[in-house]
Amino acid sequence: MKTSPLMMLFYLGLGTVFGLVLSRSGAADYNFIQGMFLLEEFQLYGIIGTAVAVTAPGLYFLKRYGKTATGEKLQFERKPGHRGNIYGGFLFGIGWAITGMCPGPILVNIGEGKLYAIAALAGTLVGAGSFGALYPKLQGIFKLPSLQVGTGEG
Amino acid sequence: MHLILTDAAPIHWAIGGAAIGAITLALLYIGNRRLGVSTGFENICALVVHTPYFTRQSLVSSHSWRLPLLTGLFLGGVLSALLAGGWETTWALGMFDAEIGWGNGGKLLWMFGGGLLIGFGTRLAGGCTSGHGIFGMSNLELPSIISTVCFMAAGIVTTNLIYRVIL
Repeated sequence: MKTSPLMMLFYLGLGTVFGLVLSRSGAADYNFIQGMFLLEEFQLYGIIGTAVAVTAPGLYFLKRYGKTATGEKLQFERKPGHRGNIYGGFLFGIGWAITGMCPGPILVNIGEGKLYAIAALAGTLVGAGSFGALYPKLQGIFKLPSLQVGTGEG
Repeated sequence: MHLILTDAAPIHWAIGGAAIGAITLALLYIGNRRLGVSTGFENICALVVHTPYFTRQSLVSSHSWRLPLLTGLFLGGVLSALLAGGWETTWALGMFDAEIGWGNGGKLLWMFGGGLLIGFGTRLAGGCTSGHGIFGMSNLELPSIISTVCFMAAGIVTTNLIYRVIL
């Protein structure tokens, strides 16, 4: 599926709005993330809960409608199930608590001018790169799908 | 509580959450794409690493939408700072400064270590807060529900260990 320059601009714009919302809602704020994990701040639970409450019915109706805005057939992959869902989830949760950032907010924090977030991005890229390099070995340990399927495009 | 960036209260959670839901649906309805950020780190790696994992078709074919989306997330942060009264670099880290108090070098090490876990963990899990937590849960996908429970539980344990047990 080719992506036209206009669509690239759309993804860039959508990402910018997404970044602005993450920045101003507390999702890219160290204190709000710690407050969520300490069960002291409702903010992030409210955000994730509302996002799911809006997306779930929208997704249900979009799937029934079955087409995109341009009339293309709506299609996306479901996530494959494997042991990595559990162990990878644990590792990511520890990293999220340590840095106060999940993947999107790492980029938002750098944009905001928070210099330490550059180290978080460097670590993340080395972590993702190591995962890719070790994939053949990890595949057996965690019963991961074949390389072409991957662990799940997220 | 105030945001570190603006020293002002955040927008209401219902507005933030509804906006993220709308963005997720717009990406699917207009772009025919499933929301997910963490694979984008693989797209960045693939620009310099050319092993079989990073040259697989499903990854390479997603460069043209994930890389603009990730660039946008960065720009959103820049825009947010500009709108808050001007962009400037900062080392401010809220509670970390108040209770752990490491200097800049320590923060870089701390963040790099956490980042390793995020990069490796999200790719092993096959998604992060967006792909599993928002899209996957909204689509009632079991692997996403399992993964979300795991990363939330690990985050709760880790932060409580750091701020309530160790400190």
